[in-house]
Amino acid sequence: MRVPLERKVLSENDRVAAALRERWHRNRTFCINLISSPGSGKTALLERTLAGFDAGRRVAVLTGDIQTDNDARRLSRYGFPVRQICTGGACHLDARMVERHLEGWPVHDLEILFLENVGNLVCPTSYDLGEAVRAVLLSVTEGEDKPLKYPATFHHADLVVLNKIDLLPYVPFSMELARENVRRVQPEVEIVEVSCTTGAGLGTWMRWIESRL
Amino acid sequence: MLLQYGLHEMSIAASVLDAVRAERALHGGARVTRAGLRIGELSGVDVESLRFCLEVLASDTELAGASFEIDCAPWTRRCRTCGAEFRVVEARPACSACSSTDTEAVGGDQMELSFLELEEF
Repeated sequence: MRVPLERKVLSENDRVAAALRERWHRNRTFCINLISSPGSGKTALLERTLAGFDAGRRVAVLTGDIQTDNDARRLSRYGFPVRQICTGGACHLDARMVERHLEGWPVHDLEILFLENVGNLVCPTSYDLGEAVRAVLLSVTEGEDKPLKYPATFHHADLVVLNKIDLLPYVPFSMELARENVRRVQPEVEIVEVSCTTGAGLGTWMRWIESRL
Repeated sequence: MLLQYGLHEMSIAASVLDAVRAERALHGGARVTRAGLRIGELSGVDVESLRFCLEVLASDTELAGASFEIDCAPWTRRCRTCGAEFRVVEARPACSACSSTDTEAVGGDQMELSFLELEEF
């Protein structure tokens, strides 16, 4: 007997993600999922971002890694609540991990929640975390063809952050080609260029966040 | 440990088998002989890895012996100018019919269980 179906494989993850999204919507929390390769500068961008917020802002970070709480320690210096999600091997965050790490955390009236995904340009793609937007980072040391090599990840991006632009004089990276490749995979995406070292472009990034609140 | 130290295809495979089990339960718990999957080109899933993970995870369970038919769904966009739906080749988003660049995403990121074949009682 053949039974035709249209059942989503990740329906359980999607169910949890939908409940999280509903919660953020109700609480007017802007939730952003940051995805990139390891070493593209997700944590550095979050450091500069947190440093740019006034102390009274209601901002928190959940940061995912396979091992260590190094990122949570780096980020907790800025005075905002930060929790580490240690995936213990898993190459991505899923909605259930986010839900579990929110338990018992007094972060009810957040303006912004950052989810720093595990450094990986493939695996996080399929997992909805209930975020309002997905930002994908690409640093200029990685090569302009990353969007073409990892179309799934860039296709789901709302914003692409081109990072480490201070290194442009030292690496053979064409910003024009990188932008073109990003737009080929996702024509509607917004793109910002930043350097977390010099601070260039961070004003644009911060204004982009504020415009979404 | 397999689930932890795997490819993400391993966790996807575990979710596939959960979905198969849930559907099987809805149909009286009959033995599953075949399961069909529709996996989009943009889902970030490697089909051969997924197949391997499905076979590993199904072995020694009530789903052992089931075969998996994996159908790849192409990356597609729709043209806002002429309405044509077209397959995206080499990440070129322009319409293959009229060359318009005003196009929107349609498909390619699906991960669905598309059918089950169950043994008749």
